[in-house]
Amino acid sequence: MTATPTTKGATFQGLILALQSYWSEHGCVIIQPLDMEVGAGTFHPATFLRAIGPESWRAAYVQPSRRPTDGRYGENPNRLQHYYQFQTVLKPSPDNIQELYLGSLQALGIDPLVHDIRFVEDNWESPTLGAWGLGWEVWLDGMEVSQFTYFQQVGGLECYPITGELTYGLERLAMYVQDVDSVYDLVWTINPDGTPITYGDVFHQNEVEQSTYNFQHADVTHLLSSFDFHERECAKLLAANLPLPAYEQTLKASHTFNLLDARKAISVTERQRYILRVRTLTRGVAEAYLNSRAKLGFPLAEESIRLEALAALQENK
Amino acid sequence: MAALDFLVELGTAELPPKSLSALSKAFSKGILDGLKAELGRDADKLLADITLESFATPRRLAVRISSLLTEIPGSVNLVQGPPIKICYDADGNPTKALLGFAKKNNTELDQLSERGGKISYAQQIAAKPIAAILPSIVEKSLAKLPIAKRMRWGSSRIEFVRPVQWLVMLFGEQVIDCTILGATASNKSRGHRFHHSAELTITTAGEYENLLEKAYVITSFAKRRAMINSQVLAQAKKINGTAHIEADLLDEVTGLNEWPVALTGQFDQEFLSVPQEALILSMKEHQKYFYTTDQDGKLMPYFITVSNIESKDPKKVISGNEKVIKPRLADAVFFFENDKKTSLAARTAQLKNIIFQKELGTVYDKSERNSILAGFISELIAGSKEKAQRAALLAKADLITDMVFEFTDLQGLMGYHYALHDGEDSEVAQAIYEQYLPKFAGDQLPQTKTGLALALADRLDTLTGMFGIGQPPTGSKDPFALRRATLGVLRIIIEKQLDLDLKQLVTLAVEQHSAIKPTDRAAIIKQVVDFMLERLRAYYDDRGIKVDTYLSVAALQPSKPLDFDKRISAVQHFRSLSAASSLAAANKRVANIIAKQTVSSTVTVDRALLSEAAEIELYDTLLQLSTALKPLYAAGDYQAALVLLADIQQPIDAFFDNVMVMAEDQKVQQNRIRLLSELRELFLQIADISLLN
Repeated sequence: MTATPTTKGATFQGLILALQSYWSEHGCVIIQPLDMEVGAGTFHPATFLRAIGPESWRAAYVQPSRRPTDGRYGENPNRLQHYYQFQTVLKPSPDNIQELYLGSLQALGIDPLVHDIRFVEDNWESPTLGAWGLGWEVWLDGMEVSQFTYFQQVGGLECYPITGELTYGLERLAMYVQDVDSVYDLVWTINPDGTPITYGDVFHQNEVEQSTYNFQHADVTHLLSSFDFHERECAKLLAANLPLPAYEQTLKASHTFNLLDARKAISVTERQRYILRVRTLTRGVAEAYLNSRAKLGFPLAEESIRLEALAALQENK
Repeated sequence: MAALDFLVELGTAELPPKSLSALSKAFSKGILDGLKAELGRDADKLLADITLESFATPRRLAVRISSLLTEIPGSVNLVQGPPIKICYDADGNPTKALLGFAKKNNTELDQLSERGGKISYAQQIAAKPIAAILPSIVEKSLAKLPIAKRMRWGSSRIEFVRPVQWLVMLFGEQVIDCTILGATASNKSRGHRFHHSAELTITTAGEYENLLEKAYVITSFAKRRAMINSQVLAQAKKINGTAHIEADLLDEVTGLNEWPVALTGQFDQEFLSVPQEALILSMKEHQKYFYTTDQDGKLMPYFITVSNIESKDPKKVISGNEKVIKPRLADAVFFFENDKKTSLAARTAQLKNIIFQKELGTVYDKSERNSILAGFISELIAGSKEKAQRAALLAKADLITDMVFEFTDLQGLMGYHYALHDGEDSEVAQAIYEQYLPKFAGDQLPQTKTGLALALADRLDTLTGMFGIGQPPTGSKDPFALRRATLGVLRIIIEKQLDLDLKQLVTLAVEQHSAIKPTDRAAIIKQVVDFMLERLRAYYDDRGIKVDTYLSVAALQPSKPLDFDKRISAVQHFRSLSAASSLAAANKRVANIIAKQTVSSTVTVDRALLSEAAEIELYDTLLQLSTALKPLYAAGDYQAALVLLADIQQPIDAFFDNVMVMAEDQKVQQNRIRLLSELRELFLQIADISLLN
């Protein structure tokens, strides 16, 4: 579609601001990105950990995401090793969650009577997070612009209440709204003199250098030993009842694994073993986190669910 | 009897498109089964006047039953109790047995009566309004839907395919008061998500689809499917093309729309440089687009998409879709161009890194085994050994190309294109494509000799390997699809009329596996050959050939499938002869007699010991026939042989009518048995006719 300067999504940052203000108006905690390397917004504690246990939670945030194997040295118009996701989580998922989502697209100036918007079955599973959910990918005139998931299990634990997760692929959505063919041509914002600052101006050099690092320079020997280190550290922190720092060690282990993967340092059979090792960590963290929240009495839970959850935990002891 | 129309509509968030039709069918069937169970014996009579209609869209499953009786009629249920003699004691007082029976049925003694020596209770079952039981029937049907994974939502423990949003339960004009899957029944439905966002009140079941159509929802799956089909055809016509509409894609697209509007988009001509199958798959799998071809059958640079909106500006929807398909096709071009930079021959080394099966080695190891086997088979069918070996070595190299990595379905086909590009022999290239044929029941078979040899070798290697490491298919578990592979081998040999012996092929395939110890070979060869012959049963069953025909041939264990097939045809023809059933019976009788005796095969019939006219006639006929049959057996002309053998019917029947086999004189008896045994041997050259029913 042709973007007019008045459209809220006309610039990349305008798109982010519009989504933030929309979800802010709908009662979300607008939280800031996690300051660590993660592969997707789901890894942010505001999603992964908050999806565990009986407590209610509504949050929205941008999450820079890194997937080393997707790097293309800045030469592919669609593939990046560093990109942005906009993530909204609503727990318990409200009955009108789809309508809320559609409202956010309208807030970006997308008219559902002009464009063909569809919810197409898509089921999600993350072996490393011990998590799965059912939902849709959302199509806008045939383009997948969001992922929509009802978490059923996280960290090996059954979810209750259910978290509804909406993940917007910001670059894709922006490329659509701005009608450009290359991510690097996206207008990030407009200078005071009216000239554009593009996504390329902001990130192209980063893509070239980071791809080079990921594929060629990352030190395999050191990475292998740091994976072991983060795994040990996580176990130690879990023993000390510190689930939040332990979770960060899990994220570091996970990103280390991704880097090793980009360096093709892990064989097919080894790969499966590493995934299982990360899963063991996330499961440990999930249980420790649930217990730590239980000790606090699940302060954010709705009363009847809170009592039910505490009683259930008591029974299991 | 009074009757009303019943409507149930379960409103949901968007359902999985591929299973929508199956869900709808199961929902309707579940409701009908539930009604039948409630109505009991008279169900079919009571439901004779109903019409059941199913409706299914991405956001609803609905069923309407017209002219459903309003109540289940009352009935009498006779409950049988204890025998009358134990019901009263000597003084005529009721015993515990009688009192207990009355209590169990919650009734008084004066309600009981005697029937056929037993106490019985005529339980009156009152008429009951059907509306009262409809909610539980609907609920049970929903609980039984074939859903791979159920999900929960919100803070509810309820599970369904996707979140449930509303429920309409209407009987006549009355809402049936109930709550199912968390939704409370009403007469309020919803229309199209964008075209009609207001609620919709349904007054009677009869107006359902018309009312919904005004709210931009075509509720009938079949009607929507037909609309999409004709819209897509019409779009294709506009660009002078032919639309290709595959049933599975049409079903899926029908499951993605409530208000289908077909639109045509375009892509750059330059993409057509890529093998069209890759482009077609890309359009179909990722975008659910239909494709078109021109008069020469060539792919046209257009796609037809079916949107779910009557857009205020369809051009925007089209240009949006064009934007999506472009990078997808660009990927295909990129993969194709990039793949061509490395020849298949150069790629084969990389196959050493791909495990075929842990104990059977890498895909490279398999290619080497295939190569030896394919070379051997090719020689047997008068093909080129060298070409078959070359094709086998290159055959799996396309598995590591980007294109096949992205579209697994293109394996073989991309190998064909890349082989031609590499300058390989055209038959070698063709064989690389043909190695996977037939892919499914009824699929085409390889055309070239090299392709035939490779297709057989690849399957035989997998088959013998998996049996060799002790992993034959068991029950429903057949992860390497060995049953299908076997059927492929049999079809190729029979339908391509190849004179090949399974024993010989399997032996050679087994010998190539280092995982199979030489001492185990004989046992595994037998196991595999038996398994393959057993699959012929399914092969013939599919062709409508009676199982006893199969069994009569299988009893002889002929290990050449083509020879097996000739025998089957002969027996088939034999069964059409008037003498057939009487000869089958005679053979059965002979087989039974022989089974009880030990017949020495070295001693022949002694003409001098034959005294009865009937046995002499049988013997002479037998002698004549053996001479006449010899050339027919040698030529494998089993049909003519059986026709000839049918002549023996009268002598046999006469023999059994007039001759006592179990004569008192042992020598005579033995001689007669020998005579029958020789007769049977003559039939057993073709099939065991005694097994025919």
